[in-house]
Amino acid sequence: MYEIKELTKIYNMDKVRVSALNSVSFVVPDAALVSIMGRSGSGKSTLLRQMGLIDRSTSGTIIFDGKDVTNLPEGERAKLRLGYLGYVFQEYALLGELTTLQNVYLPGMMLNGVGNYKNRAAELLELVGLGKRVTHYPKELSGGEQQRVAIARALINNPRVLLADEPCANLDTVSSKNVMEILVRLNREFQVTIIFVSHDPADKKYADSIITLSDGRIIETSDSSHD
Amino acid sequence: MIKSLRVAGLLSFTSVKRGNVGIILLTILILSLVSLNLLFIPGLLHGLVTGANNQLRNTYSGDIIVESNTVNPLLNNVENLINKISAIDGVAAATPRNSLGAEFVFENERTAALVYGVQPDTETNVFTISKSMIDGSYLSPDDRDQIVLGIQLAGADKPNLELYARSLLKVHAGDKVDLTYGNGIQRTYTVKGIFNTEFLQTDAQAFVSQAEMQSVNPLAEGSAESINIKVTKDADITGIIEKINGIESGLKVLKWQDYAGIVRSLTDSFNVINTILNVVNLLIAGITVFIVTYIDVANRRRQIGVQRAIGITPGSIILSYLIRAVFYAVIAIVLSLLLFTFVVAPFEAKYPFHFPFGAVDLVVGWPDILHMTVIVLSVSLVASFLPAQGMMRMKIMDAIWG
Repeated sequence: MYEIKELTKIYNMDKVRVSALNSVSFVVPDAALVSIMGRSGSGKSTLLRQMGLIDRSTSGTIIFDGKDVTNLPEGERAKLRLGYLGYVFQEYALLGELTTLQNVYLPGMMLNGVGNYKNRAAELLELVGLGKRVTHYPKELSGGEQQRVAIARALINNPRVLLADEPCANLDTVSSKNVMEILVRLNREFQVTIIFVSHDPADKKYADSIITLSDGRIIETSDSSHD
Repeated sequence: MIKSLRVAGLLSFTSVKRGNVGIILLTILILSLVSLNLLFIPGLLHGLVTGANNQLRNTYSGDIIVESNTVNPLLNNVENLINKISAIDGVAAATPRNSLGAEFVFENERTAALVYGVQPDTETNVFTISKSMIDGSYLSPDDRDQIVLGIQLAGADKPNLELYARSLLKVHAGDKVDLTYGNGIQRTYTVKGIFNTEFLQTDAQAFVSQAEMQSVNPLAEGSAESINIKVTKDADITGIIEKINGIESGLKVLKWQDYAGIVRSLTDSFNVINTILNVVNLLIAGITVFIVTYIDVANRRRQIGVQRAIGITPGSIILSYLIRAVFYAVIAIVLSLLLFTFVVAPFEAKYPFHFPFGAVDLVVGWPDILHMTVIVLSVSLVASFLPAQGMMRMKIMDAIWG
């Protein structure tokens, strides 16, 4: 699914060069459930943004589904983001002027134009337990509910991969468990490749494999035995 | 394209529905006022030109003027010539005129003006002066020793008149004025009436009957300095002129436009003013929409970044801003049309602007409305496109996380 080769990201901040990723290489197989872990500032989110084609790396290669997508023009990257990748932001990132249902079906509308994306959005909201909140606006939902809407939105176009950036960072324990269980279920039942970022060691138990970063480098790659 | 349009439609609809009502209303209000101004200025200009032209035709020149083109400045055998002209298809009426300069004296006031000898029965079919009497009455064919004066000549105790200082100041119907014609003949006339057409050049004239004029100037008998013609509605003036030229040689046949030099220069000046005001208006409209869109785009920077991150194309996002700009512009245009039709135009009709050519009505036609619509829509589109397009150049990362 993903092959990351020597991926490096350097930020130029004023006159200081900050190396957020340093020659990171790893492979994510199809239908895997991968956790990227590490302390704050270790480069986890930067790595996920490169994989989600939201940011561009300084050097290195990203192979997605056998195709080098590293230097694709923005239009092509947008098509991949729309049709193949689902991205869940740490801060939910829902559109405040759209209802829950509209937030979820917006990318579906962009991809398909016509069709049953509204029904699909309603099904997904049902799947994440928000079937009765379709007409609510984001500010009327709790943090956990908003994150579940964000997950439903990320799934609207049946992505091959769901990338989640600290999906539980702003949630309470119960909501966190709820969200993580949804991710696991998507992986187990629908074979969606899940790559999530977390700084919480407790989340290791959800992942098949764990990539641990420190100072922009992979310091450990391991498989996880589920409890 | 359909997909982009649907997404843009949803984004623009929800942003208007959930947007700041105050900002939306303010934007629409400013655009409405600009649109209204874009209707008002050309409307006033058209009204002014139309009014001036109508005044010129109805009180000063008629539609066609026939003069002598020979060394003899008078047209001879006028009755026969008028009969032939009147027989031409499209000619509604024709009347002869003679004129002679004279000095007017009333009490201690003196002034000079042209006195026209007219045939009242045919004159009233060509000109509308007789309908503009504000004091006394118009001439009858048999009137002798009587004169009608334009208000700018009579003064009539109206100090607000443009030419009051050069008038006879206090002349009213029934007063007697002394005239000394250019040929030295003196007459004392009773002022039969005073007219006010509101057309400055006409209101500085005086009229006596043709019979009276002939008594002062024997050369006027059977002759005329000009024949003024009124044509029927939608008549082919050029065709009529050709036919008049074919009646006999030695005629100089002019269209009313040949007398409209002052109106033309006025029109040119107003066109320049109109252009300047339009440019200012459009700048106001453009800057308003630009600022509103710019602030909106800046406030939604993160949301736009998220939209792009989840795969919404920049084209769709820009299109959503364009749709919104069109929505504002269309509402503003409709509002301005309603305001113009039901408030401004009736108010102006009740309290009209007064120019030296008379009261001016606002004249707005479909071309003016179309012109205003195209301009307001275009400016709104460009002014909303620029900031939206600028935001699309920003990296997604920078848009979302700064």
